[in-house]
Amino acid sequence: MDAVLQALINGIISGTLLAVPALGFSAIFAVLRFPNFAIGALATAGAYCAWVVNVSLGLPIPVAIFAAFVGAGLAGALLEYGALERLGRGGALMKAIGSLAMGMVIENIVRFIFGNDLQAFDLPLARDIVFGPIRVGPQQLNNLVLALVIMAAVWAFLSLTSLGRSMRAVADNPDLARLKGVNPRFIALVTVAIGSGLCGIGGTLIGLDTAIDPLVGGRVLLSVFAAAVLGGLGSIPGAVAGAFLIGIVEEFTVLALSPAYRLAVGFIVILVVLTVRPSGLLGSKAN
Amino acid sequence: MKIDFTRRSFLGTSMLAAGTVAMPGILRAQEGPIKLGTLTPLTGSGGAYGPVMAETVKKAAAEINKAGGVLGRELVIISEDDQTNPEAGLRAARKLIDVDKVSAIMGTWASSVTTAVAPVCWQSGVFLTTASGADSITKLPHQGFIIRTQPNTTLQGRKFGEFALELGAKNVAFVSPQTPFTDSQYAELKRAVEAAGGKTSILIYDDKKTTLRTEVDQALRGKPDAIVMGGYTTDTAVLVRDLYRANYKGKLLGFGYAVNKQLVDALPPDVSEGIVTLSPSAAEGTNGYKHVVKLLGIDSPDTYSCQIYDHVNLVSLAMAAGKGTTGAVIKDNVRKIAQGGGEKVDNAVDGLKLVAAGTKIDYDGASGPCDFTDIGDIQDAQFRYEQIKGGKIVLLKIA
Repeated sequence: MDAVLQALINGIISGTLLAVPALGFSAIFAVLRFPNFAIGALATAGAYCAWVVNVSLGLPIPVAIFAAFVGAGLAGALLEYGALERLGRGGALMKAIGSLAMGMVIENIVRFIFGNDLQAFDLPLARDIVFGPIRVGPQQLNNLVLALVIMAAVWAFLSLTSLGRSMRAVADNPDLARLKGVNPRFIALVTVAIGSGLCGIGGTLIGLDTAIDPLVGGRVLLSVFAAAVLGGLGSIPGAVAGAFLIGIVEEFTVLALSPAYRLAVGFIVILVVLTVRPSGLLGSKAN
Repeated sequence: MKIDFTRRSFLGTSMLAAGTVAMPGILRAQEGPIKLGTLTPLTGSGGAYGPVMAETVKKAAAEINKAGGVLGRELVIISEDDQTNPEAGLRAARKLIDVDKVSAIMGTWASSVTTAVAPVCWQSGVFLTTASGADSITKLPHQGFIIRTQPNTTLQGRKFGEFALELGAKNVAFVSPQTPFTDSQYAELKRAVEAAGGKTSILIYDDKKTTLRTEVDQALRGKPDAIVMGGYTTDTAVLVRDLYRANYKGKLLGFGYAVNKQLVDALPPDVSEGIVTLSPSAAEGTNGYKHVVKLLGIDSPDTYSCQIYDHVNLVSLAMAAGKGTTGAVIKDNVRKIAQGGGEKVDNAVDGLKLVAAGTKIDYDGASGPCDFTDIGDIQDAQFRYEQIKGGKIVLLKIA
């Protein structure tokens, strides 16, 4: 029983780490209608921005997280404006493949500048806090709080600001939004910047918990994609729910099967959920 | 335009053409340089080692070229990146073989890469020298086209078991990602520990996870007093962090290629404190080793740089001894210059002079004696035992 409870807590915590980039991925999909696979590399780029600010400039972690948001956001917007937008005429598949290729380019630029070595943030590593048979890491609690604050901020931005409302309008119906005076191209760029920025924060949170290297974002790309698909592509609350479910299922897998199968089990969950509910957990009906 | 084509000019031209065709192949081939390839991990998990390995071969080849080359021909080194990834490694190997037409590929590092690349090499008659340890590699039907300077993982597994016992462990857990050598390594570790009355357990994890908390919980459930970590640097860093957080106080043992300076830099000093490692040792103190120190301009070159230095020397000397430049010539002659007595040499420049003079040589290199079994395994190797103390890797012993 203790093992199950511990796995549940571990799952919630790893789900939180997946939720932030999954939010970004889903937001981009909602407005641009293509899966942007460059998010793994953008998460890496964001993590390295944060690392430079924290380790090289000696600034505190919150500033580093903000730098990750700005750095990855700018990189994502530049990528969309400079390359992916031009592939749009080829359809969503062309843009998806283009994003995969651009992700590799970003990853290799990071590798060229920073090398392959693991890099750690300037942060002491604390022992877990033990509550009876359960233990939780202080950094993981910090990450949990940070991720929840970020998710709340994204929700507030989308619900309460005019820019957020315009983004939802473009996601719902771009033609109608245009008639109402919203510039879909501008909104698309803002969405990509915010979505990419969120991925950058996601990469940083993973880095704060472990260490970073040029593949840090690439390693979670599949799980993030799985979380977004599971939640219903384009659904913001769905991405969060999907991330938690994937995180928890992957941890439970370890109790029953060899941990080597945990990623496969994540995909089996997707298969089962989508068979029962093709639009995902919280997604709208496929159009 | 009228062409004068007399009987005399026809005969002259024909004789010239016939003479060219009849010329021994070896003479015709002497026109160009000898191409050799390196296939090392410039990126990926092995990225800490590959660039220096490739650099070592270029510098060693430059020395050989300066002294007149092999069979009077220049060595040209073409370096490719296997990305520590079998698919990328295979693509790069095909390019080296099909486009560059190399005679030998040197320095494959990850066992998964070597396993993928090996069949293409022996089917194309290209000689493969590797620093990979998985037992399965030399058991492949390679017809003699593979040698390795890295001790196989059966030996490494046994050494790990013996070392854990030496540290006082009775209950040893092997925690590792799935690699081509996981099973053989664990089997030998288990044999060594159980022979001394201890017990063992194994846990395989997914090396792409950013956290291994639940895996650590699982491994600690058996209350091991020593954990042998079988992963590469990136996932080992995640594992060590999570073991520290879980307040694990037992012994931690890892491979030298995973528990290295990169890992030490990525972890706070108190987290990595006390981890012990073992790795095949370079032949420190020998002239071959000192030569690599001088060649690279660094104080303590790693074992892989020393191994690939031996690869290029062995390949060059075998070609000289066999008076040919093909993979088959290297295969047939490499043991003639590496073992079985003769004048001891530790570098190709000296060795090439002796071979040219018809003297029998016995190459002992920077990584060790370089004597190979029939299937291509190294016969003898020493291990280097080290421990992290105060954020530095300190040598315990070489044995």
